[in-house]
Amino acid sequence: MGAIRFIVKRLILMLPILLGITILTFFISNTIPGDPARLILGPKATPEGIERLREEMGLNDPIYVQYGKYMYGLVQGDFGKSTYSQQAVSEDLKRYFPATFELTLFSMFLTVLIGIPFGIISANKKDKIPDQITRFMALTGVAMPAFWLGIILLLFFYLKIGILPGGGRIDSWVSPPEAITGMYTIDSLLTGNWEALKSSLIHLILPGFTQAAVTIGMITRMTRSSMLEVLRSDYIRTAYAKGGSENRVLYGHALQNGMMPILTLMGMTFGHALGGSVLVESVFSWPGLGRYAVNAINYLDFPAVMGVTILIAVLFITVNLIIDILYHVIDPRLKYE
Amino acid sequence: MLLQVQNLQLSLKRAGKFISILDDVSFQVQKGETLGIVGESGCGKSMTALSIMRLLPDKAKLAGEVKVGSEVISKLSKKKLEKIRGNQISMIFQDPLTSLNPLHTVGKQIEEALILHTNLTKKERKDRVVELLKEVGLPRAEEMVKEYPHQLSGGMRQRIMIAIAMACRPQLLICDEPTTALDVTVQAQILELMNKLKQENDMGIIMITHDLGVVAEVCNRVMVMYAGKVVEEAEVNELFQRPRHPYTIGLLEAIPRVGERKRTLGSIPGTVPSPQNLPIGCRFADRCKDAMEICRQAQPKTLQLTDDHRVACWLYDERREDLKDDITRNQESKTTLSH
Ligand SMILES: Nc1ncnc2c1ncn2[C@@H]1O[C@H](COP(=O)(O)OP(=O)(O)OP(=O)(O)O)[C@@H](O)[C@H]1O
Ligand SMILES: [Mg+2]
Repeated sequence: MGAIRFIVKRLILMLPILLGITILTFFISNTIPGDPARLILGPKATPEGIERLREEMGLNDPIYVQYGKYMYGLVQGDFGKSTYSQQAVSEDLKRYFPATFELTLFSMFLTVLIGIPFGIISANKKDKIPDQITRFMALTGVAMPAFWLGIILLLFFYLKIGILPGGGRIDSWVSPPEAITGMYTIDSLLTGNWEALKSSLIHLILPGFTQAAVTIGMITRMTRSSMLEVLRSDYIRTAYAKGGSENRVLYGHALQNGMMPILTLMGMTFGHALGGSVLVESVFSWPGLGRYAVNAINYLDFPAVMGVTILIAVLFITVNLIIDILYHVIDPRLKYE
Repeated sequence: MLLQVQNLQLSLKRAGKFISILDDVSFQVQKGETLGIVGESGCGKSMTALSIMRLLPDKAKLAGEVKVGSEVISKLSKKKLEKIRGNQISMIFQDPLTSLNPLHTVGKQIEEALILHTNLTKKERKDRVVELLKEVGLPRAEEMVKEYPHQLSGGMRQRIMIAIAMACRPQLLICDEPTTALDVTVQAQILELMNKLKQENDMGIIMITHDLGVVAEVCNRVMVMYAGKVVEEAEVNELFQRPRHPYTIGLLEAIPRVGERKRTLGSIPGTVPSPQNLPIGCRFADRCKDAMEICRQAQPKTLQLTDDHRVACWLYDERREDLKDDITRNQESKTTLSH
């Protein structure tokens, strides 16, 4: 089958890209001035102590030897040990990543659910009041800094009217669901734990919206311009001539035809959401990968930095592969090359 | 009477201003009859068709009355009009390459009309789609159902368009240059198919075209439009033999000699006035060889010359009675063309 070969080929192509990313990240993080050993031992460390630790951590080896050792471990699935948390990096990732992934998925979900219909309405009512309103909102969403929006939302919904929680993933009196994926909402769905589901969903609302504000704005604008083009097509007129209602034509004919650029942007937006989670995670005390990554950089925790980078790269490439496959699912004219 | 269009007035917004696109367009179509609409590019043929279906661009101002049977459809709500589109009135467009949704299978696109207007079950619809494909003369109908438009030729796609249009057995079929984009042999086949379907279903057809060959082949009556107005309408042989309006005469003269492959409307010296800048008098006056003083001062009324011939031209107005005879003689000697 063409599709299977296409996917296998793309997966194989992923390897050199990942190799490049490990090289870049490894060498760049090693050029950061500062000494991890000194940071770990603190201000009272003796030079001998630091020297011993450097030797122990392999920091005195030439950099290509360090890289070789790291890669030797990596191909065996060993991400090394975090110098800051003193745990296996893979354990840390397992702990922090699901929270970030859950937040990202939720914000992507909001983006699609709000951004696409807004864009369609905007295009269909071009230059009329609904269009002007959605365009204004999209622009606001894109222009507003996430941390600022997050703080405003917190002030209002948590402090002022108190209907939404101020941070964290779940209420302290609710025990988290049994870990399957590590994402609380999904795990509580899978285990039928409704109390945990409700609590974790409520906790997702504010950070989710904060993170989605920018992407909703971007998707709305992209959907609008893509749909404007499609709505001028002859086959749209045919669909109306058949007796199709506005909604049927917009969602049954036009959207699918305008989906390509929207999908492309969604792939990029996904990376943006993953990377942009740092600010949102800090504002909402969300125990995710973003905060872990910031700590890792502050403490020159190279194995952790490498781990986070590789994980996000793999995810980003995978998402884009999925989007490439979706192109082919949507458009029968495309051939798997 | 199947279709009655009365005093259609259409304005469209262009660069912030409303401009008149159609002015006082009236005509009728009977059951089993084909009305041809001809005229130069931009004269408002497509807009006339789209006005009937109310498929106009945004910000269109439409006035006048459209009656199908005894129902005034120009006053219907959007929802009610949707029940009529593709059901009682269907439309076929010029370019079969772009008129089909490239992402849906042929079967799905035909079936949609059935979903919208009938209560057939899924199984019945599937059977009906195959029947329709066979009816429009497509081979291997069963397989074609699953194919996409890009896998088919232009002629096949236009047949699919016809199948979609015929799915609910419309009373009126509006064709906007259905064969212009096709090559000659395919054109002939498509016209033959439409004639066959018309006879079998006793439909009325509006045939918009540039091609006087098409008019001669399929039309019973012809309406000539110029710059948004109807200038002449007559039974087809009458029009070819005794054209009255100088514009019609010009069109017929512009046909290349017999034997030349293309028999499209040729060009008459001068240009059509732009809709933003219409003269107060007759719109054709500037290009008209027979233009008189009055032609530039006032618009001519539509005159019923005989039962099946009307014309809007000052030459035939009773106030010009004295001139009428020798102008007509003059014209008849010019129009030695037959078809
Ligand atoms: N979307 C639109 N907005 C404004 N004006 C338009 C629009 N579409 C068409 N027009 C104008 O309406 C007039 C009539 O156009 P129409 O398409 O009906 O001509 P036509 O007789 O079908 O020409 P053709 O033979 O080229 O198809 C033209 O002057 C055209 O410029
Ligand atoms: Mg046209």
